[in-house]
Parts: sequence; structure tokens; C-alpha cells
Amino acid sequence: MTANEGPPHEPDGLAAAETDISLQRLVLESPDIMAFLVELTIVAASRLSKPGNSIHSGVTVIRNRKPQAVAASDAAATALDELQNGFGQGPCLTALRQKTTLLVPDLTAETRWGPYVRTAVEHGVSSILAVPLDLSGDADAVLNLYSGCSNGFSNEDVATAEAFARQAASSLRLILRISQLREARNDLSAAMQSRTVIDMAIGAIMAQSRCDRDTAFNILTRTSSARNVKLREVAAMVITAISGEQGITTHFDE
Amino acid sequence: MNADWTGGPDQLFEADEQRRETAQRFRDAEVPLIKLWTYYYGLGGDADEMSLDAYLNEALYLPATQVGLIATAMTELTAAEDE
Repeated sequence: MTANEGPPHEPDGLAAAETDISLQRLVLESPDIMAFLVELTIVAASRLSKPGNSIHSGVTVIRNRKPQAVAASDAAATALDELQNGFGQGPCLTALRQKTTLLVPDLTAETRWGPYVRTAVEHGVSSILAVPLDLSGDADAVLNLYSGCSNGFSNEDVATAEAFARQAASSLRLILRISQLREARNDLSAAMQSRTVIDMAIGAIMAQSRCDRDTAFNILTRTSSARNVKLREVAAMVITAISGEQGITTHFDE
Repeated sequence: MNADWTGGPDQLFEADEQRRETAQRFRDAEVPLIKLWTYYYGLGGDADEMSLDAYLNEALYLPATQVGLIATAMTELTAAEDE
């Protein structure tokens, strides 16, 4: 090595910066969380795949206390994730619960998770690497990596996967935050629409029955629960009955 | 906003019971507070988010109309989630 080779080479730092940029682009370009996660698994799989050792990747998320395979780089990974969730046990679920990286270098020598491991071997899996995504309490997720080779993940691969998972986790938190805001905005605009119809109906009932607002609300809620019809639909019926106007609800049918 | 209780201890007991029940349903449904509040607002509800929070934590009474709307919001919201 000579002095005129320039500054010291930092392969990890450079790769990390590149990953960061591509993940940022994914956050911006993905229409929703699902699409983002699918892209994420594809990037993870292609980064770790080598000639003769192709890696399959999936993401499992805990939703309503149940693990769900939400995204995968290919059908094989989806099947493996679902298999594991079906058994309710496996290295990825253990990694998810313990919040630590878990490497199973050789499935044929593995004694834990008996039924799942046997089925995975039948599916041609020889080693598994599971890396939890730290989402700081927003959700629980794990990146699952499958290889058809025993010892399919080197120490370097594990380090790469962990670095990738750290960056992916912050991108994921960002996109979670964005979609929560989007959902809140959609809920709020739906609420505005609904409130308009209901307020209108309340006014109409007050005028017709010569009653106060509370009484009008009482009439509306009682009708709603007696007929098992949503409050705003009852309100829409009231308006239609009085004025013949129907257009007020069409907004909700989208 | 607090309710004006003129109905005596029996009515207060009833309101307690109803509040406990709604609070329990809210916890069981695991709906975020903001989601419930937004829905309740959409039904014509008047209480702000903090009052709703206080009500669900049994720290505040609300007028009967608001209580009815909260219960309706819970019912409609959980029915929508089950679909």
C-alpha cells in the first residue's frame, strides 16, 4: 500500500451512505407501507445474495398481538414466513420477542423450534438470519433472511444485515409516521362530512319537533340504535325525508 | 365541560356504571384515543379530546348527550373495524 492511494478506504461507511439514500428514495416513492416493505425486502435480499447463495427475505410484523407476514422479496419467503407464523414459533419470532439478532447457521443441526425447522428444511432452507427492526415502540417488526446453503451467512453478512436493519428501521418509522398522519387527516375529513349531515338533521328535528338540541340528539341516537343504522345514515334519511335532498351522503361512498 | 347533576345519588350511580362500561369497551377495542375522538366529533360531539380522555379515565362526568354520542362512536367504530 502506498501513500498516493488517497484517503483511507471506508467500505462500510460508503455502503451505509448509499443504503441511506436508496431507503430515503423508497420512503418518498412508496405509495404505502406495504409497498415500502416489499421494496425493503428486495433490497435486503439482493444486497446479501451472492452467486450460488441466493437469499430470500421477508418482514413479519406484530399486529393485534399476532405475527403477520406482511411483505417478502419473493413467494418462497412469504411461504416460509407464513409457515413460521402458522406454527407460532421459529427463529424469527424468537428474535422478534427477544429483540436480538438470531442466526441459525445450520437448520439440520438445530434442536429448537422442532416442527417448524423440519418443515423449513423440507422447503430447502439451510440457514436463517433474523434481525429485529427497532421501531421504538411504534410497532414490532423483524427482517427474516433465508438461505439455501448451510452457513449461508458470514459474520460480515450478519454485520451488513444489522446495519441495514438499523437504517431500514428509521425509514420505516418515518413512513409509519407519514401514514398515521395521512390516516388522521382522512379520518378528520370524514368527520367533517359526517358532522355536517348530522348537524343539519339536528337542526331540522329541532325545527320540526320544537325541541332543544339535546332532545334532537336523543331522537337521532335512539333511532340509530333501534334500527341498527349508523347515526349519519339516520341523519341523511331525516334530511332526505324533509327536503328530498340525497346528494349529501354520496361523498361517503368513495 | 361538566354535567350538572340534579338527579340525586341514584342517577350518579347509573352514570358511573355507564362510564365504567364505556371505558372498558374503549380499552378492549384498543382504538387510539384520537381515532375515537375524531369519530365522536364527526357525530356532532362537543367535548374536546382532553375531556374525552378524562371521561374514559373516570375523572370527569359529561352531559348525557355527549355520553350517548361517545357510546355510539364506540359502537360504530368497532363495528367498522370488524368488517
